[in-house]
Amino acid sequence: MRDLKAVGKKFVHVMYPKKSSALLRDWDLWGPLVLCVSLALMLQGGSADSKDDGGPQFAEVFVIIWFGAVVITLNSKLLGGTISFFQSLCVLGYCVLPLTVAMLVCRLVLLAGSGTVSFVIRLIVVVAMFGWSTLASTAFLADSQPPNRKALVVYPIFLFYFVISWMILTFTPQ
Amino acid sequence: LIFKTVLKDIRSVSILLCLHSVFFFFSRHPLATFFHLFFRVSAIITYLFCDWFSNSFVACFVTILLLLSFDFWSVKNVTGRLLVGLRWWNQIDEDGKSHWVFEAKRVSIVNKTASTEAEARIFWLGLIICPVIWTVFFFSTLFSLKLKWLALVIAGISLQTANLYGYIHCKLGGQKSTSRVTSRFFVTADNENTYL
Repeated sequence: MRDLKAVGKKFVHVMYPKKSSALLRDWDLWGPLVLCVSLALMLQGGSADSKDDGGPQFAEVFVIIWFGAVVITLNSKLLGGTISFFQSLCVLGYCVLPLTVAMLVCRLVLLAGSGTVSFVIRLIVVVAMFGWSTLASTAFLADSQPPNRKALVVYPIFLFYFVISWMILTFTPQ
Repeated sequence: LIFKTVLKDIRSVSILLCLHSVFFFFSRHPLATFFHLFFRVSAIITYLFCDWFSNSFVACFVTILLLLSFDFWSVKNVTGRLLVGLRWWNQIDEDGKSHWVFEAKRVSIVNKTASTEAEARIFWLGLIICPVIWTVFFFSTLFSLKLKWLALVIAGISLQTANLYGYIHCKLGGQKSTSRVTSRFFVTADNENTYL
């Protein structure tokens, strides 16, 4: 179906971030929804004091991702950005893809063991994917700002992906 | 208990809606009518009876979210167009400015049949009642302090209210000025429309 192909095309554009109009002009929120749900599913049950089936953590990840993306979008709009609300949400959501891949890799590594070696591997993978996410989203979003405001826009994005990377890195299965 | 009577009311309303749509099965778009109500009502029923279906909060959350998303997509892209001839979307120009477009199909009085009227009635009933029900859920979740469901209820309210707002905008726009969109253009421009 055409919608599925559009979503797939955007995933490819995120992995190879060049200036593409597909992510910006034909925005849609299906990709971010799928990524959010899969990331939340993989992150559930990871805190030390979860008594039930990880319910609160699941909703937590959801709220952090969507609320964080809304706040970043409002911030960039208040700074006078030319990008529209849903376009920015679309870009931020799609750029969570590298971090979802990192989460997958971390879970696989944790199946093998949870010693120092696995921690080092996870650290490297998460840091690399975090850098990729931040670079990909700033490549799309920073251009819509005047040059002296670019740092003000990049900083919240950095923080947003940092929080998600932190949740991924500190995940320990029960 | 008040809750039990509310439950019975909701069940009777949903049964009524189902009967309404079954009774008018000779309508021109029976599938659209069915699916317009199916996803919305299933989401509400799953939310109410999730304890019976499964013990897992996550499974219920994901199921309801998926039902709400399918409902949003189908109402926005399919049932609005087929049942009442309205549509709305977001368009981004060459220079990056985004604007929302609301369109209403011009319908001559001769074409209005009983099935069209019934379809329109079912459409608007389903469109209006469900956000109201989700708002009731919002307050009940807030006051019973089951806050882990709050995110889902807020998502439900936003998705359903977005469709309601969009279609009301279309309807009012169509009534204010004669729509410049003829039915032929309506049919051929379908493929160029970007669906959300």
